[in-house]
Amino acid sequence: MSGDRLLVFQYNVASAVTLSNPYRQNMSEKIGKHLAIYGKGGIGKSTTTSNISAALADSGYRVIQIGCDPKSDSTTILRGGNDLPTVLDTLREQSKLRIEDISAIGFGGVLCIEAGGPVPGVGCAGRGINAAVELLQELKVFDEFKPDFVLYDVLGDVVCGGFAVPIRDGLADRAFVVTSSDFMAIFAANNLFKAVNKYAPSGGARLGGVIANSILAAYAPSLIDDFAEKTGTSVIGYVPRSLVVAQSELYGKTVIEAAPQSEQAQVYRNLAQYIDENDDSVIPKPLNSPELKKWAREWGDRIFEVETGVVHEMASI
Amino acid sequence: MPHYLEGSRNSCALHGALQLFEAIEGVVPVIHSTAGCGVQYYLGGTRMSGGNDPFGSPPVSSSNIGQKHVVFGGGSRLREQLKNTVKVVQGDLYAIVTGCSTEMVGDDIPAMAREGRDQDWPVIYANTPGFSGDVHHGYHLAVKALIEQLPDIWKKPEEFPSGLVNIWGIIPNQDPFWRGNLQELGRLLEGIGLVPNLLLGSEQSVASWQQIPGAVLNLVLSPWGELPARLLEERYATSSIILDGLPIGTATSTLLRRLTAQLKLDPIRTEAFITREESRLNLQFARLADIYFHAGFQREFVLVGESAQVLGIAEFLGTSFGLLPRTLIITDNPLDSVRERLVTRLTAFVPGYDTEVVFSEDRAEISDIIRTSDAQLVLGSSLEREVSVELGVPFLALSFPLADRIVLERSYAGYRGATTLLEDIGTAILAFSRDFHLC
Repeated sequence: MSGDRLLVFQYNVASAVTLSNPYRQNMSEKIGKHLAIYGKGGIGKSTTTSNISAALADSGYRVIQIGCDPKSDSTTILRGGNDLPTVLDTLREQSKLRIEDISAIGFGGVLCIEAGGPVPGVGCAGRGINAAVELLQELKVFDEFKPDFVLYDVLGDVVCGGFAVPIRDGLADRAFVVTSSDFMAIFAANNLFKAVNKYAPSGGARLGGVIANSILAAYAPSLIDDFAEKTGTSVIGYVPRSLVVAQSELYGKTVIEAAPQSEQAQVYRNLAQYIDENDDSVIPKPLNSPELKKWAREWGDRIFEVETGVVHEMASI
Repeated sequence: MPHYLEGSRNSCALHGALQLFEAIEGVVPVIHSTAGCGVQYYLGGTRMSGGNDPFGSPPVSSSNIGQKHVVFGGGSRLREQLKNTVKVVQGDLYAIVTGCSTEMVGDDIPAMAREGRDQDWPVIYANTPGFSGDVHHGYHLAVKALIEQLPDIWKKPEEFPSGLVNIWGIIPNQDPFWRGNLQELGRLLEGIGLVPNLLLGSEQSVASWQQIPGAVLNLVLSPWGELPARLLEERYATSSIILDGLPIGTATSTLLRRLTAQLKLDPIRTEAFITREESRLNLQFARLADIYFHAGFQREFVLVGESAQVLGIAEFLGTSFGLLPRTLIITDNPLDSVRERLVTRLTAFVPGYDTEVVFSEDRAEISDIIRTSDAQLVLGSSLEREVSVELGVPFLALSFPLADRIVLERSYAGYRGATTLLEDIGTAILAFSRDFHLC
């Protein structure tokens, strides 16, 4: 009996070794928690990511934030709005790179890096992300800096394979998606779910959760909650639309730095705390196109009724 | 259904375009792609077509882009390469061809060609990513680029020779005998009073391509020549004669008579020419008769090649030379509509005899078919040599890739091509036979 058990044990060890890919093995040596944050362009990814980075750094963690967007403005508010040469720009100019050439220390000691990319309409930004991430690995940025957290702030809709690099190959453990109650933002989130759903089974990142941003309308939390429920995911925080954020940004700062006592700062701290304390992740179940259209139409009708004051029978009782 | 493909002979669109441009004297191709594309073209294309490399080495200008050109765009690299090429290589026309990576990135090639033209350099471009198709598609893309863009560089000539005929569908190197075939076709057209516009090969330059609009006819000799003929019909209302294969032996007489009727040429001159050529060929048949029966030339054969070659050779061997087309394997992936009419023609050469027609570019499948065909003679590319040795039957390499023969001016088209084919097949059979001894 004990012999059988021993055999089973040996078999399991053997299969674990043969099934694990090289990236998987790297992951066991990976330094810090790696998180990728996605969402539609202009939805507040960089603001949210920077504030989470700032909050984590404020709690004493070592944090790296990597902007994976050709616009290269992910870490601006961590660095007081100063210029930072991007990884790809520097790669174009110099053949031998040092970490100092492509990084800056921002608020709370956050190491800020911008992948960079081509000007709009030229070249291949997706390949750029790929090349920048490869270079960071070659430079052993993580070994040198020894971060507790690495946050990848990634552009938009995962339009091609290049933008899926952070959630592929076991680079990030978890992906988070920032969305508002705007339908286009929800569609972009659904697209990310498709990418996670594709890559997670083969060692890619799983979904850590949804961050509801720019919450203003009364129906917004229920709409995002409903989308999360339909896709088997959950909302890990609601960030209200706030003037404090806009004002802090105008000063080139995160809310954590500019208004540490504000309610908004507390919202970001709660998000950071959740990410720190909670390792939950799921493989989302994205809606297909007809389902998504039907879902959006139903919510569209409800919102229209709320906005135009339609009172249904018994609705006020 | 997906399947393995071994030793495909159809390469990619970039290579097809390069083959065409290199076959025109004075045209300098400029590859905008990664470094491997040009080398691969040399190793897998020109080197495998019986000594048809343009300069005996691979001196094609290439932008050889690297990662930074992919990320930031390769337009400026191409601009630089074009400028340097114009400085170093004197040409009548510079033709930009693109590879997969630059097309994926979306480099603005037309703008780069326009910039070149703004500096009075004669530059055209063809977007030829390998993933868009095989060599035949590349031939289409390059021909289309020339037809559409040359009029932007040079004004149409004011005078054209009368009786000018453009010849389409012979793809350089993909037909290893393209030079000789074109020369023989030129001789035939001249023989009945026409002026051939061969477009490719010796003494064929950009000037030949400028003559295209003035042709009275487009003569199409493979399914791949239909597109250029259609383009020219739309642009210049030129009519066409479309054949699916090369005319060999008496099929040539049919073509010459058709040309004479359609272009209202002198029938007496044509018939005199045909009589002279056919008499010569008939005499050669007669001289061969003894050895033909003695050595048992009448055999079942397998033929592997592009549709134009297979149709022309099988027709000549089946109808004039008494050989039996057991299995005909067509490797150039013709369109479905073309396949139907090819099968109809290919199975009708020998009445009462079953000819099998197969479309495949997979070496393994082709070898298996040959292995089980009971053929007594294998005619194909160098890839079929191995299976012919295994079967213990005579073999002649005559289609692409051709790694074990030199082909400089040899032709397998027209009347003279028929003679050459008889010589080569006869030699292959005799050289193989063990029954003959010098005494």
